[in-house]
Amino acid sequence: MSRKPYHREVSKTTWFLKQSRYQHYMLHEISSVFVAIYVGVLIVGLFRLAQGPEAWSGWLAAVTSPIGVIFHILVFIFSIIHTTSWFKAVPQAMRIQRGEEIVPGNLIIGAHYGVWAVVSVVVLLVAGVA
Amino acid sequence: MSERQIELEVLRYRPEMDDKPFFQTYSVPCQEEWVVLDALNYVKDEMDRTLSYRWSCHMFVCGSCGMAINGEPKLACKAFLRDYQTKIRIEPLSNFPIERDLVIVQDDFIEKLESVKPYIIPKQEKPIDQGEYLQTPAQLKAYKQYSMCINCLLCYSACPQYALEEKFIGPAALALAHRYNMDSRDVGRSAREHVVASHDGIWACSFVGACSQVCPKDVDPAGAIQQVKFTSAVDYLTSFLPGGKR
Repeated sequence: MSRKPYHREVSKTTWFLKQSRYQHYMLHEISSVFVAIYVGVLIVGLFRLAQGPEAWSGWLAAVTSPIGVIFHILVFIFSIIHTTSWFKAVPQAMRIQRGEEIVPGNLIIGAHYGVWAVVSVVVLLVAGVA
Repeated sequence: MSERQIELEVLRYRPEMDDKPFFQTYSVPCQEEWVVLDALNYVKDEMDRTLSYRWSCHMFVCGSCGMAINGEPKLACKAFLRDYQTKIRIEPLSNFPIERDLVIVQDDFIEKLESVKPYIIPKQEKPIDQGEYLQTPAQLKAYKQYSMCINCLLCYSACPQYALEEKFIGPAALALAHRYNMDSRDVGRSAREHVVASHDGIWACSFVGACSQVCPKDVDPAGAIQQVKFTSAVDYLTSFLPGGKR
């Protein structure tokens, strides 16, 4: 008898709706867009700073406006999602072997959080906030 | 031992009779300690001899009984009925053509597995009478996790990249390539590289990580692929240095 395998189609546009783990992945990927946009906003800020006090205060007014604040809150939330989801994945990509033992993943993740906290404090100190 | 009636909704496809698959429900009297495979075996033995599915060891070693249980890729021998409600939907692993009922066509995986040369390529073959190739416990540890793969294909079924891009070499084959690359007795990395480090190899992986989440043997193919990406990127960059191989 000849074979007649049945092929099931996968939607190229809605595949990620199928499972929650795919949705988490998409959320993680989309969060990078917010991070990228924020980097753009900061670079524009640097340019405005270089153009003089008037340009700088215009940029400052834009980012502290109600829309600017909402944007910052959104970026903050997505940055947290982006950072924590990457930190969670680090031990998979960074497998460290010491002798006959593999360094536990939690230690690697913890080290990342530690460095994140230290860098944040340094940035706040430099910015004069803390 | 208590008994519970379970409704098994099984996707059926009989190529000689059906144009497309359909669900058939079996009401199975199950024992509390049974796994899904036991329930399927009951159907096969007592209710419907025409039902087809693969299984062998019943102890998650052979990797034969992979199927989608309530949409999740699982080994039927490792899916305990006590973890499910009274209705369980059973389908063949997604991302593969259906040969018959719960049996999938594995040809694509087998070809891809062969393409990564999943065997030790020693620097120099030595006769058996010269003894075994020695290895320290640390050298064993470097690859042991990746050698636990049982080719059950749950990872391929969970991988959306494989679903969308059929040329993708896929999680298990790439993890096994990594397993041999990490083996101190092996010198075959460059022989595997044209497949492993190609567009359809590691670089097609977008690190969804679903493969590692469903792996019944904790192989972590996603981790293996990211590690190969790192070494491959280092290879590429060092190729620009004086004496580098381009």
